[in-house]
Amino acid sequence: MRVPLAWLRDYVDLPQSPDETVARLATLGFPVDDVETRPALTNVVVGRIATLEPHPNADRLQLCTLDVGAGATLLIATAATNVAAGQTVPVARIGAQLAGGLTIAPRKMRGIDSQGMLISAEEVALPGAWFEDGIMQLEPTITVGTDFIAHFRLTEPVLEVDVTPNRPDALSIVGLARELAASFGVPLREPSSQVQYDGDTEDARVTIETLDCKRFVFQRVSGVRIRPAPAWMRVRLALAGQRPLNNVVDISNFAMLELGQPLHFFDWDHVAGKHLIVRDAKDGERFTTLDGQERTLDERAIVTADEAGPTSLAGIMGGQRSEVGDATAEVLIEAATWTGPRIRRASIALKLRTEASTRFEKSLPLALADIGAARAAHLLEQEGGSVAMPHATGKPASAPGWVGLTPGVVRGLLGFDVPDDETERVLVSLGFAVDRTGPELRVQPPYWRNDVLIPADVVEEIARMVGYDRVRAEVPAVQPQAIDSAEFDRETELATICAGLGYTEAISLSLQPGGVAERWRASGIEIPTPPEILNPLSEDQRWMRFSLAPALLEFAARDRAARPYRVFELGHVFAAAEHDACQAAPEPRETVELTALHAGGESAFGRLKSDVLALLRRVTGREAHVERGTYPSLHPGKTAALRAGETLVGYVGVVDPRLAKAYDVADTTALATLFVAALPRYRMPPYVEPSKFPPVDRDLAVVVPLEALAGDLVDAVRSEPLVRRATPFDQYRGPQVGAGKKSLALRIVLQSYTATLTDEEADAAMARIVATLRERFGAEPRAAGGPS
Amino acid sequence: MPPERGSNTRKKLQNARSSRIGRSHLHMTTTGMTELEATLAALSARFDEAVANASDARALDDARVAFLGRSGEVTAVRRAIGALPPAERPTAGKLINAAVETLEARLAQALARVEDAALARSLEDTIDVTFPGPPASLGALHPVRRVAIDVARYFTRHGFAVVLGPEIETDANNFDALNIPPDHPAREGLDSFYLRPDLVLRTHTSPMQVRAMRTHPAPIAIIVPGKAYRRDANDARHLFMFHQVEGLMVGPGIHFGHLKGMLVGMCRELFGASTDVRFRPSFFPFTEPSAEIDVKCPACAGLGVTAVLRQAQDDNVQCRTCGGSGWFELGGSGMVHPSVLRGVGYDPAVVTGWAFGCGLERVAMKQHDMNDIRAFIENAPGFAEGLA
Repeated sequence: MRVPLAWLRDYVDLPQSPDETVARLATLGFPVDDVETRPALTNVVVGRIATLEPHPNADRLQLCTLDVGAGATLLIATAATNVAAGQTVPVARIGAQLAGGLTIAPRKMRGIDSQGMLISAEEVALPGAWFEDGIMQLEPTITVGTDFIAHFRLTEPVLEVDVTPNRPDALSIVGLARELAASFGVPLREPSSQVQYDGDTEDARVTIETLDCKRFVFQRVSGVRIRPAPAWMRVRLALAGQRPLNNVVDISNFAMLELGQPLHFFDWDHVAGKHLIVRDAKDGERFTTLDGQERTLDERAIVTADEAGPTSLAGIMGGQRSEVGDATAEVLIEAATWTGPRIRRASIALKLRTEASTRFEKSLPLALADIGAARAAHLLEQEGGSVAMPHATGKPASAPGWVGLTPGVVRGLLGFDVPDDETERVLVSLGFAVDRTGPELRVQPPYWRNDVLIPADVVEEIARMVGYDRVRAEVPAVQPQAIDSAEFDRETELATICAGLGYTEAISLSLQPGGVAERWRASGIEIPTPPEILNPLSEDQRWMRFSLAPALLEFAARDRAARPYRVFELGHVFAAAEHDACQAAPEPRETVELTALHAGGESAFGRLKSDVLALLRRVTGREAHVERGTYPSLHPGKTAALRAGETLVGYVGVVDPRLAKAYDVADTTALATLFVAALPRYRMPPYVEPSKFPPVDRDLAVVVPLEALAGDLVDAVRSEPLVRRATPFDQYRGPQVGAGKKSLALRIVLQSYTATLTDEEADAAMARIVATLRERFGAEPRAAGGPS
Repeated sequence: MPPERGSNTRKKLQNARSSRIGRSHLHMTTTGMTELEATLAALSARFDEAVANASDARALDDARVAFLGRSGEVTAVRRAIGALPPAERPTAGKLINAAVETLEARLAQALARVEDAALARSLEDTIDVTFPGPPASLGALHPVRRVAIDVARYFTRHGFAVVLGPEIETDANNFDALNIPPDHPAREGLDSFYLRPDLVLRTHTSPMQVRAMRTHPAPIAIIVPGKAYRRDANDARHLFMFHQVEGLMVGPGIHFGHLKGMLVGMCRELFGASTDVRFRPSFFPFTEPSAEIDVKCPACAGLGVTAVLRQAQDDNVQCRTCGGSGWFELGGSGMVHPSVLRGVGYDPAVVTGWAFGCGLERVAMKQHDMNDIRAFIENAPGFAEGLA
């Protein structure tokens, strides 16, 4: 909310320095998001035009003599056309500093020394288009010679104050002034609502037909003359960012900004039948709001209708038909209270948010309606209106309920005691009633604080006023608890090891455009249907991600200059609920995956597989088993399934060539996905005592059918008890081994725990191995040899 | 090249050998001891010459083979002893042995000289240490995870557990259980993505408070890092998907002072030991009293406040990290609302508690002095490594 400090000072004496007010507002819970400073302005006084005559040497200039107080007069030449003798106007004297760095120097205008300048709103940094075209017009009630800048406090900054939604009372100048007055310990000057009643509003009838109109105060004011509002009001509105229009409209805006109660004024002559009916809007009902827009309503909205139909959109905006205009002579003030959520729903449905609706949707106190109407009536009387007695319908305003503070509740929440005397003092300063006669302290919030309902709310009021700084920081002792961090620790470990292995972590958006899934399907990849967002802000956010791979492939394609490229992401992936007759409301699936991509470098697949196996070994405490598998996104013939024990924990493979083409990445790019929830808990590996006897290395090359897997050969070799390690180190396909066959070379380490192996023992072991391989795989030894 | 030089030396020595061996043999058989001494002296002189010419260990070894080796010159001289009268043979043998000892000592000396020279040369050698090596293979955690880990380390040190939860959440857990009924104005800032009328992408990590309390009796002390979603367009300050960390501590006698103690400690861990933290009243439906957590800007030591007010006169003092205010908002906090406690089956008359939430991207941005949050989801090459 825009809060001109100039306006705030009308109700409370604040420190000279704006900084102090800004800081105090923050400690009260109203942070100032921005401080809009105003330019330095000096040496402008209020003057009255005594005489006005044409300039002898210029057609477009006039000469005026100005009474500027204390018997002083100034002779000023002006080109303005809206000047007349008798007007009260602001006058910049020689030496004045004005907006835009303008300074007034002595100046000869067509031979005559002009002793200053008559000024417009723009020259004191007010929006020129919002004020009269030409010289600003002031009320004759302002004493001539008054310092114009100081009088209107035109150099005071405007604060952008952040008001939390629980405090609609503070969405007003008086509301914030009240908080500051309580905090600084100074009195609040409440604005006047005094009027001389002239008759009663008896000829008006209001019928409430909806439960969501809580209270409706109405009051007739006649004899209104439409003209510009007084300068003091226009200046305050302009500083607050509200464009002045005419005295009546300005009064409704002024009273709303001042007190927080939105008002609506009907042109009473345009209310058919002098009967207002407050009711739910009808579906499809059409209505033109005073911004000239025709709107189609539905039953979420409330309208105030007369016999000719809707004439105001309740709580949001008035209607064009009964709008106050130049010819208005009699108005009906409406000050109502609505059910907040109802106004909020209607406002969202109509996509129409106004100063009124943002206040009403927070559920205003009923009593504020009466106070708002009275203030508007007072201001209209000041403008020459005669004010009838107000009437009200709906619920009567009632005082908020008492809240008991059991002893210890303050200490229990804040960690320190506030003495009862201090509690009473701070709460009374905020307008609360305090009763200390019973065993517990009881407090009654003021009418404007319908947000204070429970002891914790009162404790916050106390804490706010004594200051949060009084809370002593204390490190708590945490009791042992059953809840553990296993999931987080696992994710941290996975990510940290991946980073250590050379992969960089990515975080990509989990909402995607439909194009991602389409691209996969168009490439012939089967994927589960991703969950759909019902209300995305754009099509880019419509679908939840079904896999982490698309984003990584996109990065790999985008960053093609970075090779070798190693990246991983650890995050949630989603699948739409599968319709299942047994389940009433099937839930979408959400699982945690880790996907890594390796592009470029030598043997991306081999490297990625080794890295993933190392990762699995480290986080599970056991070697993972590799076997053939298939997985969407991976090449059907170049994919390994990974098992930890019996559990399938993931896949690693070469990217499906159709995807490689679709994403324009090399078809050697490798991808791995681990199912994080499936990973078994870490198992402490047992210690394997090393043999004290020397190992013997032997290399073995065998020719096997093409489909034989190195992993299976290794398993077979390891069935020989003397084998400690068996590692394939070379494979060959080609004419030397014949079609349908390949050669595999293995380095085999033999070692005994009981003795140094003799050559004969080693040869015998190798012979057993060859026999096993021949039997299981039809393997033929190609060449035997020692270590190379 | 040393090998070639070595082979040249060898050739020279071979020539010398073939031209002289026969001669010494002849002299030995005819003229006796004097002859032998002369032969040895000549051999010694040639050996000295060969050793002096040798510039490396290999050339020295060639000399050793040529003179002292199994078929070297000394062996040839030794064989000639057989031609001497038996009485002279022991003396001749002694003479030859003495000569061999001398040669070996000289050879050792020469070897030491050559090795010293090689070491001296090696010490003179230089490499361009600035020439890049092959790239290291070290990846990096995303800065958001790094912050989560840092926060978790702090809280686990104090006995908190770190729990994770689903991103698809029920409307009831995300809002109602947190005292945010439908149409509450606080839903304003929490515009959510809906999957179904009763399922949302969580707008904050706070629903995990509810889940954790429902399944675990008090006392409880947890933090919850994770993703949250708000229906928003991405810009320099907002992402529709971002990360938060939530903290919750509930038990008998837990009060605002404990919240302050833990959060001041957290901020000092994240932003430096001298970091100032202040708490300001605020409003969250699920806490009462509520507080905004402000951290004194580590970049300008909090000198920003007057900077904004002076802006008209003095434009150049605005701190980029805090936007000139001297403080930046870290997140929200407060004492858990009694309605929330009751809703999960806790008795607010018996236990009290506090909760807080703050954005992880925000922490990282302040730590690294970044001003565009979108960098966190761009994953540009080198981004995470640069901040690691």
